[in-house]
Amino acid sequence: MRASGSKIQQIASSVRPRTSAIQSTPYSWINNSTPSSSTGTLAGKSIAIKDNISYTPAPTSCSSSILQEYNPPYNATCVESLVSAGAHVVGQTKMDEFGMGSLTTHLPPFYSLVHNPASPSPDEPPRSAGGSSGGSAAAVAEESCWAALGTDTGGSVRLPASYCGVVGLKPSYGMISRRGIIAYADSLDCVGILAKEVDDVEQVFDVISQPDGGDMTCSSSSSRSIASKILQRHFPKNGIRGLRIGLPQEISISCPPSLIKYLKSQGAEIVEVSLPALSKALPAYYVLASAEASSNLGRFGGGWYGSSVEREKANKDESGEERRKRIRTEGFGKEVKKRILAGTWALSADEFNNTYLKALHLRHLLRGNYQSLFRIPHPLSPTRSITVDQGGIDMLLHPTAIRTAPVLKSRQDKGSDEYNQDLLTVPASLAGLPAMSVPSGKGKDGWPIGVSLTSQWGMEGLVFKLGKVVEGWSRGQPTG
Amino acid sequence: MIILPRWGLTRPIINGIISPKCNVRCYASSSKATLGHREEEEEGEGEGEGEEKGWETVVGLEIHAQLKTGRKLFSTASTSYGETPNTNVNLHDSAFPGTLPVLDLHAVRLSLITALALKCQVNPRSTFDRKHYFYHDIPASYQITQHYNPLARNGKLPIIKGDNNVKRSFDVGIHQLQIEQDTAKSQTVGENVLVDLNRAGTGLMEIVTEPDMRSAEEAGAFVRKLQGLLRRLGSGDGDMEKGNLRVDVNVSVHRHGTPFGTRCEIKNINSVRFLQAAIESEKKRHISHYLTSPSIPLKQETRGLNELTLQTFSLRSKEVATDYRYMPDSNLPAISVDPGYIDKLQDELPEMPWDSVDRLMILYGVSKRDVETLIGLDEYHFLGIKYYEDVVKGDDKKIAKKAMNWIVHELLGQIGKSGITWSPTLIPAELMRELVIAVEINKITGTTGKSLIKHLISMSIPPTTESTPSFTTLEEALEAAGLKIDDTVIDLEELSRKAISNQPKSVADYKKGNEKVIMRLIGEVMKLSKGTADAKKVKDVLVKLLNEI
Repeated sequence: MRASGSKIQQIASSVRPRTSAIQSTPYSWINNSTPSSSTGTLAGKSIAIKDNISYTPAPTSCSSSILQEYNPPYNATCVESLVSAGAHVVGQTKMDEFGMGSLTTHLPPFYSLVHNPASPSPDEPPRSAGGSSGGSAAAVAEESCWAALGTDTGGSVRLPASYCGVVGLKPSYGMISRRGIIAYADSLDCVGILAKEVDDVEQVFDVISQPDGGDMTCSSSSSRSIASKILQRHFPKNGIRGLRIGLPQEISISCPPSLIKYLKSQGAEIVEVSLPALSKALPAYYVLASAEASSNLGRFGGGWYGSSVEREKANKDESGEERRKRIRTEGFGKEVKKRILAGTWALSADEFNNTYLKALHLRHLLRGNYQSLFRIPHPLSPTRSITVDQGGIDMLLHPTAIRTAPVLKSRQDKGSDEYNQDLLTVPASLAGLPAMSVPSGKGKDGWPIGVSLTSQWGMEGLVFKLGKVVEGWSRGQPTG
Repeated sequence: MIILPRWGLTRPIINGIISPKCNVRCYASSSKATLGHREEEEEGEGEGEGEEKGWETVVGLEIHAQLKTGRKLFSTASTSYGETPNTNVNLHDSAFPGTLPVLDLHAVRLSLITALALKCQVNPRSTFDRKHYFYHDIPASYQITQHYNPLARNGKLPIIKGDNNVKRSFDVGIHQLQIEQDTAKSQTVGENVLVDLNRAGTGLMEIVTEPDMRSAEEAGAFVRKLQGLLRRLGSGDGDMEKGNLRVDVNVSVHRHGTPFGTRCEIKNINSVRFLQAAIESEKKRHISHYLTSPSIPLKQETRGLNELTLQTFSLRSKEVATDYRYMPDSNLPAISVDPGYIDKLQDELPEMPWDSVDRLMILYGVSKRDVETLIGLDEYHFLGIKYYEDVVKGDDKKIAKKAMNWIVHELLGQIGKSGITWSPTLIPAELMRELVIAVEINKITGTTGKSLIKHLISMSIPPTTESTPSFTTLEEALEAAGLKIDDTVIDLEELSRKAISNQPKSVADYKKGNEKVIMRLIGEVMKLSKGTADAKKVKDVLVKLLNEI
């Protein structure tokens, strides 16, 4: 079933990356330079990157008007690693402005939409590719690139992967350097990888998961070697025999029964587990992410940023403060402004103790919940003890999304459904754990669905291992 | 070692987060809650005259000292002073999207030794926070500082009666010491505001004192002492004029036995002199306000100092407090310091200037002023003190005092006249020691010693490293200088006989019983010996010869 490298190249050339102001396309920028012949583990591979990953030739704008003409003067560390491994950056992909959104609909007015390419029939009305890394997921799904980088703050890689029927990994926090990633929420942001197959995701991960002296939150080589020793100890010797997989009770949507059956048949043990703090994860997430966003986005405006379009409007008599207000009012979209306001409020002196600190506390509780479930010790835990708890699990499994991709509408109001959706992706982000969405067949409407695998910090190896088993099962499923 | 745990399981820790900053620093506000315990330790019984009698001034300082690391706190850009604007700037300093801070551990080390020298308790775990505000001097719209868990707290710096003319000995409490970023420099030129990012991101120590000072002199004494401390540790230059030490002062005035008055802050003070002037001006302004309009509360505000009139003026009212929305910075790991490392730093702390003064005064019986002169030669490495101790080599007080005289008065005096700067190699300590001892045992005369010093100094003008001859022994040096050790009594007798025959009148007077005239004869011998003879010895020889006549 697996396409060979050369076959992918042929497919890739059949769907060429393109930009368009009118027609839908995942790309905001295309690399027109011809890829030079390269050597390295990713030689000849074409990779798309999200619009918030700094790449000098590309106007890295986070799909925001405020950064419309911004060309970064340096490359993100992860891009440097890709390029040194021989990969070719094909283009930059659209996203929800600054990563805030889950449908890739929060776009500047001059961007065309992104359509989900995984449509079962050409007659279907266009659906969302998910977000915020919708452009990256769609680019992989339409096969205009071999793999794509996205970023995941609360599910922004996993959800679009599920909607578009591709694999999407959010690694452990700190595995991939964030240097050069335009920040949304520093304590949650992770560079993620999207590709058609788990193998490809793993290949890219191996290249960009490196220590980086330019990012103090990026894991050191000593932490990595501790993690890899722990991984070796817990890696199943024979397929997935003996792997203990937990299904969280608090998540009401269940995985396809045939998948569970298949995993059991392969020797995995399936147990039901509980994460009591899960229900509190969402308020914590929204407070923390918004607070960090309000801080990180403070730099945009005033003396330092603003496009030439903006400068034309400059009124000679306006004060610095007035100019800052104007730039920020005009430059940020509605969703971004909403979250900046919410975050500013959460950090205000009157609210800080009651809002921000409580959110931090809830995050702490949730992390504790996860740690009590795993039988694999946390590699970075200062009180690392070999507690091979017989009841402990290696991995959590649940659907990535509550539904297949929604139909694209001009306006998307956030209903309670979307909060239920966030519940499936946000907890792993808060806990800093690796989580990967793998296609798990189709929904009743014929559109793709995916399941999420979550494991202990630094256990990407286990996630890939189980991911490939799920992938194998998925391929055996009747299509359509 | 300084351990920087990665963001793993347990970062942002909430305990230890204290109530809003205001509570901590509210030491001299007008609120009723802040008085009480401090009143008891009140000293100075209403000094001053006229209107100022019966009033007490309360002073607290907030000091920003640039860390002398050569690079910025979170980027590798240089911090060299006086460069072309916006050239010492790295992408992080200008807050380019996607850039991340990388903490300079050398800055942490310098801050730690400063905290230890100030007898602070170092927090086992300190963290960085963001302080938010929109202004053109802060490109990221937030400053990275340590708000919730500062590096160190609860220290003190002793002030001794007599320092900067203060009238009592007391401790100035150090409320806390934290590491933070400096802002950019901005200046208004015509209609434009120009921003220079060279300073943006430079590492600072913010040192906040308790309101323990009661006069302008006491505040001045504290700053002077702190400057010496920073230089001795090498953690800062403490140069107020270059702006690498900046002092904001909080002043309030109240009548003895009554609650603290309203506190006003005076910012941007450029020298100790101006600091003292600002406090004086503010004290007078407050007293005059309380006397003339007692029913109107004094406005709490931030003020500046007019350096020409030495009067303070209002900058902005503090009634509308800025909400800085402090938040932990997730890009930076917590600093946790191993207790063993703290012990090591503590052991390695150099002797503080005031301790050197005490020790030398007690050990050698030398004057405070002279020791301070030696310290002034090199405030960073104390080469002057080391030189002196190398000359003395632990000998008894007698040579110790003499040596101090020779170094401070003869050597430095002559250096001062010649316009060159002192260095310990100018006259090596070993040679200087021989010289002092030689004079002491009358091997050479004081005059010869002085001539030798003069000669050695003149040889190093212009100061050239290669051609400066280095002598290992006093004899070599004397020979090179054309001077001789007057080791022959015969020579003295010859000269004395000559003098006696040259001055028969004096001899006759002496014989008549006027013993004072021997001075004339001694003078004659000195003239004949071109100053090389030892007057005491000459006298002995003359007396002997005259008695023989």
